[in-house]
Amino acid sequence: MTNHGDDALSSRTGAPDGDDRLSEDRSLVQQRLAVRELIDTEVSYLHVLQLCASDIRSRLQQLPQGDLDVLFSNIDDIIKVNRRLLHDLQETASREEEQVQLIGNAFLEFQEELEQVYKVYCASYEQALLLVETYRKEPELQREIQGIIEAVLPQAGPSGLSFLLVIPLQRITKYPLLLQKILENTLPDTSAYAVLQRATSALQDVVTNINEYKRRKEVASKYTKVEPLSLRERLARINTHTLSKKTTRLSQLLKQEAGLVPRTEDKEFDDLEERFHWVSLCVTELKSNMAAYLDNLEAFLRFRPQDCNLEIPGGPVVQYCYLARDLQLQAFPEFKQQLEAQVWQPLCSLAKTLVGPQNLIKKRLDKLLDFERVEEKLLEVGSVTYEEEAARHTYQALNSLLVAELPQFNQLAMRWLGQILCTFVTLQRDLAKQVLQRAEDSLAQLPHHHLSEPAFRKLVEDALGQTSHQLHSFQENFEKVLPPPTTQPLLPGAERQVQALLSKYGPGKLYQVTSNVSGAGTLDLTLPRGHIVALLQNKDTKGNSSRWLVDTGGHRGYVPAGKLEVYHVVPSEEELRGQARPHRDFQHQTPESTSALVPSVPTVTQVVAMYPFVARSSHEVSLQAGQRVTVLEAQDKKGNPEWSLVEVNGQRGYVPSSFLARAPSPAPWGWSLPS
Amino acid sequence: MRSELVPQIVWCFSESLHLSLREPIRAEVRPKKTSLWLAQIPFKIGQPKKQIVPKTVERDFEREYGKLQQLEEQTRRLQKDMKKSTDADLAMSKSAVKISLDLLSNPLCEQDQDFLNMVTALDTAMKRMDAFNQEKVNQIQKTVIEPLKKFGSVFPSLNMAVKRREQALQDYRRLQAKVEKYEEKEKTGPVLAKLHQAREELRPVRDDFEAKNKQLLDEMPRFYNSRLDYFQPSFESLVRAQVVYYSEMHKIFGDLTQQLDQPGCPDEQRERENEARLSELRALSIVADD
Repeated sequence: MTNHGDDALSSRTGAPDGDDRLSEDRSLVQQRLAVRELIDTEVSYLHVLQLCASDIRSRLQQLPQGDLDVLFSNIDDIIKVNRRLLHDLQETASREEEQVQLIGNAFLEFQEELEQVYKVYCASYEQALLLVETYRKEPELQREIQGIIEAVLPQAGPSGLSFLLVIPLQRITKYPLLLQKILENTLPDTSAYAVLQRATSALQDVVTNINEYKRRKEVASKYTKVEPLSLRERLARINTHTLSKKTTRLSQLLKQEAGLVPRTEDKEFDDLEERFHWVSLCVTELKSNMAAYLDNLEAFLRFRPQDCNLEIPGGPVVQYCYLARDLQLQAFPEFKQQLEAQVWQPLCSLAKTLVGPQNLIKKRLDKLLDFERVEEKLLEVGSVTYEEEAARHTYQALNSLLVAELPQFNQLAMRWLGQILCTFVTLQRDLAKQVLQRAEDSLAQLPHHHLSEPAFRKLVEDALGQTSHQLHSFQENFEKVLPPPTTQPLLPGAERQVQALLSKYGPGKLYQVTSNVSGAGTLDLTLPRGHIVALLQNKDTKGNSSRWLVDTGGHRGYVPAGKLEVYHVVPSEEELRGQARPHRDFQHQTPESTSALVPSVPTVTQVVAMYPFVARSSHEVSLQAGQRVTVLEAQDKKGNPEWSLVEVNGQRGYVPSSFLARAPSPAPWGWSLPS
Repeated sequence: MRSELVPQIVWCFSESLHLSLREPIRAEVRPKKTSLWLAQIPFKIGQPKKQIVPKTVERDFEREYGKLQQLEEQTRRLQKDMKKSTDADLAMSKSAVKISLDLLSNPLCEQDQDFLNMVTALDTAMKRMDAFNQEKVNQIQKTVIEPLKKFGSVFPSLNMAVKRREQALQDYRRLQAKVEKYEEKEKTGPVLAKLHQAREELRPVRDDFEAKNKQLLDEMPRFYNSRLDYFQPSFESLVRAQVVYYSEMHKIFGDLTQQLDQPGCPDEQRERENEARLSELRALSIVADD
């Protein structure tokens, strides 16, 4: 090394120049030593790290993976960064004059990365230490761990694990010191000096930042979680300390409200908080609306009109059923699933992240009150207790934490929200595409698919109008009441009587008895069902309109009005004889006839022959006992009622009326007849 | 002439005998050997022994009426389900509109122009979709639900008609039993007279029943078959309504996704995106880890 040679030369001359040069050389030597130290220690540091990461960690198999992650944290990342740093540093060794400057540059380059990587490690260091403590409590485990470490790194000593874990922390704090040492031995007027100075302060900043980050993280983890405490637990937590704390806060708040004490206005923070508030409002509203939407979707999918079976074999009905089933079994459930996974779940996660900042904001407010109190005291008294100082620091940590991270939070949350909304829209479009595809396939198979929509609508309207008419006609048909057979057939004797009444009183006055009437009073009649009477008066002498005075053709008396029904006289047989059996029509009503039907009496009476009779002339006709005959006229041409004109077996002729079965004759007054 | 007089005298005698006896007619239960063969018909008081309605006719009637009863049930159910389905459809659409409405009312819209643009576009789309949905529901109401109601309104009349037929059948049975009872008695004058009257009473009742029976047997299948032509237009209209609505939906949301500049990506990618967003947020200290 030429340096030694120089030194030797300068020490031999001993001139004043030489003094300067001596100190210069000494500085240079020191500098070089410092640089050497930096690089050498870096090498050994990296070596230890690698041993930790690979050998020791892999052998500590009895510890669960989670623990190992906490213990060694991101040691792999640290190794990567430091390896590259070392590489750069070692390269500088070849360039002697500029070495220092290059070293400075290297550190400046790596500043950011070093901060990122070491801050994570430092943040989890506390937890790692806690774990080490728990291991220490188990002697068996402790011995095993110790054994492994000693096998690999004997210099770890008895406190093996904790010794190893603290190494990265020590290293990062050492950098500023090492750089400082080089700086001291560098001439101020060289360009290297400026760079090195910057590097040193940069690494100082790194250390400060890491500390700050650690503190914030501690504060955050302390206050972000809201423990769900029961009332009892809350009460148990109250002690004099907390009480005094809370009362102090309350009094501070009251003083502020009263205007006695100025409130610390922090516009910047307030704006941030407001925006955060809106963001969280947006998220919670969207979440609840989305929940409602999903509920409605579920309800919609519950109803299945396509499951109804109308027993229609083909055509649009079947097409629709296929389509609906397809949609309900495939398209819609898929949509629902995607919606839940890609919109609902993220919304829930997003909503959960709101909790942390909300708690911190609340806590900050509390701590602000403490802080203000302490500030007051500081002004008045000039000094504060240790606790009060701690309270101040807590507030400041909280505040700076929130101010630093809330804007980021707001921005990230909004970005995510936007993405979720876009996903929602895209899913709707995809659903529409799916359904449309299937529906259009279905449509292609329908009869009128070539028609335009307005034309089709007109067609449907017309079709429905027509079928509506048809339905109406069906309904009418079913509603048509066929005449009940309320009328009794009239026998020859009755026919005569009816004719007599008719001629005497006129058609409008005839009534038929609907059910048997038993006379109670002296003037009441007893009549069988079906008897024809003529109305004389529609009330009795006392004015009671429910008793009517009637004429039976032989007798007069009162009958209850409720048992009388208007009797429509049908044209007698004489008039009908010429017609071809019109009576048949009345007995076989079909739905095609639209005229209102009038209850009527079969115009031709059928009677039964009781005794056999032998015809003796061409005017007469033979009878057999029990034979059914049709009476055409109840008297002969001379009006003699003893002979009746009948038709039997297609033949017409006269037979004795007495041979024919007759209805019981109208009872004389006061007699009751068997029904 | 003698032969004429004799029956007349006999008749007078029997009449007076009949009057003096004054025997009221009572229902009789007559278990006979033949009733075993008719054991399938429980021999109730007033039931005719003769099977007045042939089994095949009865069976046909039951079958046709049964089909119509099923159809009634199904159309009623279909109407209900259709109504509920359309109601749920409307509710879904309304809740979608609420989503965009609430977003629009958030103060963030005033601060953030991009957000405002996105939310406005979303709101417009949702409102338009709601309008189309309402139109779709109206069309369904007009062409499916109303016709279903009309179809269903025929059934009460049908059921009444069937009841009336049943009533007529009961009357028929009763009178038939009466006739049979008289037919079994000894054929004396008064018996014959009563028999004759009973037969007279029976005839119109029987004719009435036959008429009702025939009418229903004719009309019921016709009504049942009318459903084929009746429902096809409704369901065709239903399918078309879906096509109209979903093609609008596809267009509107397609345009919107283009406007929002969101390319379609597969599900896994979206999942990863969401995971990434979540871990970004979790990286912040202020967010609690759970």
